[in-house]
Amino acid sequence: MLASLFLIGASLTTPQMSVQAASQTVVEDSDDGMARAVGRMVGGIVSYARWPDGSVESARVMCVVGTPRLTDRMAPDVPGAGSVLVRRLSVAAVTSRDDCDVLFLGRMAIADRRQLIAWVRGRAILTITDDDAACIFGAMFCLSSRAASLSFSVNLDAIGRGPLRIDPRVLNIARGDGGAS
Amino acid sequence: MTGKAPERIGARTTLQKLLSRFHFGITLFAVALSGLTILLAGVTALRGYADRNMELAAQLGAYGVEPALVFNDPQAAREGLEPLTRIPGIARLRVLDDRGQPLTQWASPMADPAPLLTRMFFPRPFAVTVERNGSAIGTIEVWGDSSTLIDYVRIGLLAGLGCLLITALGTIFLARRFEYELVKPLNEIATVAHDVRLHRRFDKRVQPLGIAELDRLGGDINALLDELQGWQGHMESERAMLAHRASHDTLTAMPNRDAFDEQLALRIAAADARGSRLALLFIDADNFKAANDNFGHAAGDAVLVALSACIKETLRESDFAARIGGDEFIVIVDPIDVETAANDLANRIRACVAQPVALPGGETYRASVSVGAALYPDDGDDATALLTAADAAMYADKLTNRSRV
Repeated sequence: MLASLFLIGASLTTPQMSVQAASQTVVEDSDDGMARAVGRMVGGIVSYARWPDGSVESARVMCVVGTPRLTDRMAPDVPGAGSVLVRRLSVAAVTSRDDCDVLFLGRMAIADRRQLIAWVRGRAILTITDDDAACIFGAMFCLSSRAASLSFSVNLDAIGRGPLRIDPRVLNIARGDGGAS
Repeated sequence: MTGKAPERIGARTTLQKLLSRFHFGITLFAVALSGLTILLAGVTALRGYADRNMELAAQLGAYGVEPALVFNDPQAAREGLEPLTRIPGIARLRVLDDRGQPLTQWASPMADPAPLLTRMFFPRPFAVTVERNGSAIGTIEVWGDSSTLIDYVRIGLLAGLGCLLITALGTIFLARRFEYELVKPLNEIATVAHDVRLHRRFDKRVQPLGIAELDRLGGDINALLDELQGWQGHMESERAMLAHRASHDTLTAMPNRDAFDEQLALRIAAADARGSRLALLFIDADNFKAANDNFGHAAGDAVLVALSACIKETLRESDFAARIGGDEFIVIVDPIDVETAANDLANRIRACVAQPVALPGGETYRASVSVGAALYPDDGDDATALLTAADAAMYADKLTNRSRV
């Protein structure tokens, strides 16, 4: 009895896991189903992010680095007003300019990735990757594909370090079933 | 005809019953009207609250499922709906994406306690469009059920019924009071009228009743009673006068022959019972015809009045005198005792009559009378015999007087 009480208390006081379990998005069974699902997911994530300048800019710049694993047609679909301009850049090109609002990390060398993550720290840049299913390498949002569905996880530590504000409902979605009770 | 009479009486109703029926009708009408109004107002208000509740729930759901719709995530949508499933009074939830395809839906495991109420209050689901940055990304639909309303309606109905009962009782009580206040004074008036009619109590009056209209009625009745009392008094004095006139002589105001006969019979019976005696004096004026002829009838009348005055003066209280003919008087001396011998009385009358009488013409006249006495039962043992004896004695006296003249 006492032990069970202790266990309940312990489970309540355990700190939240920094990496949230994935949410599941249905991927339509068609040729460009995955591309549209990814576009929709990236657009959704962008629409729930708030940049510290406060302006609700209609267009955000997404810099794609490396090779995206899920789709090669990167076309973010932002619900409502707003759009995302996609630029494919090299690591060096990204770090030399400062107009990237979103950084999409595809498959790349581990060193490059580490460098980019370090560079992003402290900047108002939203980082999304599709090459880190466990979401442990420092990107804020990690997309992954399982069977016929697409999901994303959240790295709360990464979000907490940056000046970006993410709508908590998105974090809730990402929490899924595996979230803390 | 006779068979119909009791029926008519049976169909008649009392004022109290009439008022009671009237009041009951009005009360029922008023209570029903107010109850209906309150019910309608209550239902309208309840419907408004229920609608608002559903709308709020739908808004809450829309906020919760918005990211799920953005990411097209059924699991997240289910979780977004989770708070709504804990709100009582929601039967069904459904989330549709921007193409109208259902993303997720939920139905309450609880059965609808009153489908009729649900149909009345929530004929169609509440649909709220979920928007993201100004464009519709989906729809959430909320169906209400009666589980929250049923208690409210039940309590409302009970309270309404209770209020209805209290109102009805209160109104009945007040109506009874009013009836009592109205019927009591009416009964009072009826009692007075009844008393007057049945017991001739003309001195009864209706007391002030405190109700203006009834007081006016009572005042009129009192005025009528005043008049009746006046008439009654007048009638009684008139009757007394008529009775006096029937038994008395108008000229001398002495009892007449009828009254004398009655009185004599009574006194003889009384004397018999006591075993005592009484005397009769028969008095007749001498030469009265001559006086009438010489001085006129007015003079004769004056002589008769003087004669009667002498007789009245001489008599004691218990004696009885009557004028039984033109110039004939009779006196019942009763009781007789040693001091008041019949002859003594006769002499005193003679002496009184001997005084001169002033006639209307200015002359004076000296009258004289003949007096005959008879004793009961010595000279006669009944009225007729006694009267005859007294008459004979008077006649003897008259002869003596004539011879004396």
